[in-house]
Amino acid sequence: MTKKLLHKTSNAYLIFAVLVLVVSAPLFYFITEKLYIDDADEALILRKNEFLQFHSSTLTEKDIPIWNKFNRDIKIKEPQSISGDTFFYTYYYDSLGQENEPYRELNFPIIIEGKPYTYSARINLVETEDLIKSIALLFFIILLLLLLGLFIINKRLSQNLWKPFYETLRQIEQFEIDKSNQPKLTETNIEEFNRLNQSIEKLIERNTTIYHSQREFIENAAHELQTPLAVFQAKIDTLIQSGEFTEQQNQILSSLNDSVSRLNRLNKNLLLLSKIENDNYSEKQSISLNKLIEKHLEFFIEQSRAKNISIKTELSEPVIVNANPVLAEILISNLFLNAIRHNVANGRVEVTLTKQSITFSNTGNNKPLAADKLFTRFSKSNPSEQGNGLGLAIVKKIADLNKWKVKYSFEANLHTFSVML
Amino acid sequence: MKLLLIEDEKELAESIKNYLTGNSFVCEWVNNAMAAIDKISTYEYDCILLDLMLPDGNGFEILKELKRQNKTEGVIIISAKETLESKIEGLQLGADDYLTKPFHLSELLVRIQALIRRKNFKGNNLVAYNELEIDILSKTVKVNSRKIDITKKEIDLLLYLIGNENKVLSKSAIAEHLSGDMADMLDNHDFVYAHIKNLKNKLKDAGCSDYIKTVYGLGYKWQHD
Repeated sequence: MTKKLLHKTSNAYLIFAVLVLVVSAPLFYFITEKLYIDDADEALILRKNEFLQFHSSTLTEKDIPIWNKFNRDIKIKEPQSISGDTFFYTYYYDSLGQENEPYRELNFPIIIEGKPYTYSARINLVETEDLIKSIALLFFIILLLLLLGLFIINKRLSQNLWKPFYETLRQIEQFEIDKSNQPKLTETNIEEFNRLNQSIEKLIERNTTIYHSQREFIENAAHELQTPLAVFQAKIDTLIQSGEFTEQQNQILSSLNDSVSRLNRLNKNLLLLSKIENDNYSEKQSISLNKLIEKHLEFFIEQSRAKNISIKTELSEPVIVNANPVLAEILISNLFLNAIRHNVANGRVEVTLTKQSITFSNTGNNKPLAADKLFTRFSKSNPSEQGNGLGLAIVKKIADLNKWKVKYSFEANLHTFSVML
Repeated sequence: MKLLLIEDEKELAESIKNYLTGNSFVCEWVNNAMAAIDKISTYEYDCILLDLMLPDGNGFEILKELKRQNKTEGVIIISAKETLESKIEGLQLGADDYLTKPFHLSELLVRIQALIRRKNFKGNNLVAYNELEIDILSKTVKVNSRKIDITKKEIDLLLYLIGNENKVLSKSAIAEHLSGDMADMLDNHDFVYAHIKNLKNKLKDAGCSDYIKTVYGLGYKWQHD
């Protein structure tokens, strides 16, 4: 799956940020907790020292219940078997809050009036749950801020820093070598982008030059061929009249005649392609496709008779398109003749015209054709066939010119060519 | 009938001249614009065949010259140029027809005949051949003065055959003539056979002699025995 360049970088940042936060959150928790406990312990020691210094010498056994009564967090308890400072965690039930509260407690053996007691001081701790919750919240807020920041920065970057890049991209995407819309790449103040633009411009210029000279070559070649072809044709026509030939000689002449016809068609179709490419047919007008098909239907029926092909047309609704009349006619004729040419004896051709598309379906070879090569020049599905391999290329060119889409499909043993209007 | 052929390609010009001369035409040939203007200023022609690309100028100049001299000769442009613009320009400048190279000589001949018919017999477009009579305007055919049932295509074919009397017409030439603008896309000429057969039968049924001869392996020919 491809992603936008900026998404890629921001994704990397994002993953890193999440990773750091996830790893640092427990770390942060432990460190906070340790600092907190250390601090609590320190306070406990301080209180113990205060007690030892100010109270332990004056305290009498009699005072102990009173002491315990008024001191919430420092108690004098029965002696325990401890030898020195003993820190531990414990829970006391808080009857007001109705829950167990965590405490850090320091027990320490003391002597009051010669009798051993245990000094017990405690500090209420923040509940672990509360701590984790607040840390999680804190980190979540940090994460959110990071994301927001990253998003805004990326947006800014794409708007400013990457702007020339996207502009170049847009220009190249719109560029078509057979159209005269040369991309105008603007100068930027970023060296890399300038270099990119210059390279692209050079590349496009060279390709356009090559493309134009090639196109010119095809056109010139086709033009130059016309005169010798005309001579060839005329000479054969003259030769045919020049006397009695045997049937075998007649067949040779006929075959010569067919070949020159074929050359002629090939040449005319090449010229037609060049002309379409040179925008010689740019003039458009409203055309009724129904009328266009009906106008030539008789001709196509005539052509289909040799193979006894039945033609069914479904031209239910009137369809008007804005196109060049010559090209529209050529498009329809090519598709129609194609459906007849590649058909089988007693086959059928179905023509369906709707507002969205014009579709030609025909019986034929019971195998689907290679759809990817169909519309390229001189790609013939069957090399022995008479077609010159330009018909569908011309169809594609005309469709492209009108921003129509040509599609081929093979279903239920029918080859279907559709032009999406 | 007098024709002027303006064409710089010698081989082609000779073939055209040769073909037309056999069909009651006198054909003069020039290979440049200067000579052409010379000829048209001096003589009258029934039809002028004009190539657009000449060594010393453009065929359009000759059309303008004809107009300037108020000449009414019919002009058929024969050109390798096949752009819509040159066609339109040619016709606007007074040419009557436009034939793109390469073409069949038989096609050129019937175009000339049609042009001369249009020019000479204003409205009276009848072609007669022995017992046959074709009215081009009303699209009717009579055999021995009796109208026969015939399609437009068959009349077209009939005119083409009669126009090229005694010439062998190849199947592809007939096919290209019948399919007109579609010819460039057509690669199957089998339909010619069906048309010829139908026409032959219709003429025979009406009592017309069988003028359509089959030239085996090659095509057909209209010939009076």
